[in-house]
Amino acid sequence: MFKRLTVLVSCVAILNLGSPLVAQAAVIGTLQAAGQSSRAADLSTISSALARHEVREQMVAFGVEPAQVEARIAALTEPELRTLAGQMADMPAGGDALAVIGIVFLVLLILEAVGVIDIFKKFP
Amino acid sequence: MDAVRCGHVAVVLALVLITGCASTGPVLSVSGQGAIPTRVDLEQTPFFPQVEYQCGPSALATVLSASGLPVTPADLVPEVYLPGRQGSLQPELLASARRRDRLPYQLPPTSDAIIAQLADRIPVLVLQKLGAGPWPGWHYAVVVGYDVESQVFLLRSGTERRLEVPAARFLATWDRADRWAVVVLQPGQMPGTADLSRYIEAAAALEAVGRIDAAGIAYRAAAMQWPRDALPRLALGNVALTRGDFAAAESEYRQAIELDRGNVAAHNNLAEVLLRRRCVSAARSELEIAKELAGTGPLAAAVADTAARVLASGNSDEQGCPAP
Repeated sequence: MFKRLTVLVSCVAILNLGSPLVAQAAVIGTLQAAGQSSRAADLSTISSALARHEVREQMVAFGVEPAQVEARIAALTEPELRTLAGQMADMPAGGDALAVIGIVFLVLLILEAVGVIDIFKKFP
Repeated sequence: MDAVRCGHVAVVLALVLITGCASTGPVLSVSGQGAIPTRVDLEQTPFFPQVEYQCGPSALATVLSASGLPVTPADLVPEVYLPGRQGSLQPELLASARRRDRLPYQLPPTSDAIIAQLADRIPVLVLQKLGAGPWPGWHYAVVVGYDVESQVFLLRSGTERRLEVPAARFLATWDRADRWAVVVLQPGQMPGTADLSRYIEAAAALEAVGRIDAAGIAYRAAAMQWPRDALPRLALGNVALTRGDFAAAESEYRQAIELDRGNVAAHNNLAEVLLRRRCVSAARSELEIAKELAGTGPLAAAVADTAARVLASGNSDEQGCPAP
């Protein structure tokens, strides 16, 4: 995955060589004016097209219905897409609390059963 | 794997894993916060018991419904659930709210911020980390109240309609999830305590994904809330320009300049709107000001770009242009 990303980044970088940066709209956007995004910060991360591509692939890999993928991507802002790109496997995914509970409970139960611990005192 | 449910078990987990966070003195206090009640319970907040791993859709449906949208977790699953991760990611929850013209406002990372929202009768969507090690146990819940006397927070969580969690325990699990807390607002509604740049950032995200009308309403509310600040006016000008309403855009930019004569972006964008109206002379004189103000700062490149466009536009001035 990392190799492929490197290759993609290189391709984009090479294709961009010698060509001026995409013409910026002459309007200064609200976030830019508020100092929330600077060009330097934007340039230091991957291009938004690449981020979009990456997120699309990962969503499919994580089992999102293909019909839903585009709408889900369209609803994300560019900074969010950049955050997600490459991180979808590691970011907190709220929802799996149950598995933990189940496992912890099971471990405690086994320890109790084999007599290592004795915490379920109220059990008959 | 069998279908597992958050809920009772989640409480057990929390109890088992987060014992020993002994703290002295109350962790939940409202002193020094003006007219904040000592007890809040937003009983009217709807509840959607979680099924399987889907606490993301459930918690999001709770706050969306509380904001006046009839929506169920089942509606949200296709938008926010990631089967391969058996959970939902934070940016996708925000995105889903935006798809419904709601403004997700991320709170500053303090318990006071949560309390201020609840005092204003707005439920708060939070991320908690209930587990540890290889089982992080990320969990979304909705805070619907607190009680200073008994030192508890009230949650809609998992399959629990009204879960009372000791304040210290709740704050510990929230802290371990980087204190992520969000309120979902109707466009134009202000959060309990609002911060200008946070609010503008939230509205700009709506604008960025094409919810222009909702963003415009939010900016207008911001202009009311912070009447001395130029940023909401600039934002309103940008929305008007996106819509092609040059007259409104010009008026907003001029108001922004009125409030802040040194605002580079307002001068630059006013030049741009004048240019689109074919008022080149007036655009040029605005741009001179913008250039001088921008100096070599972060907006210099954008101003230079506008300057190039003005140069390329010749000298034509339409009738009815303002005097340069």
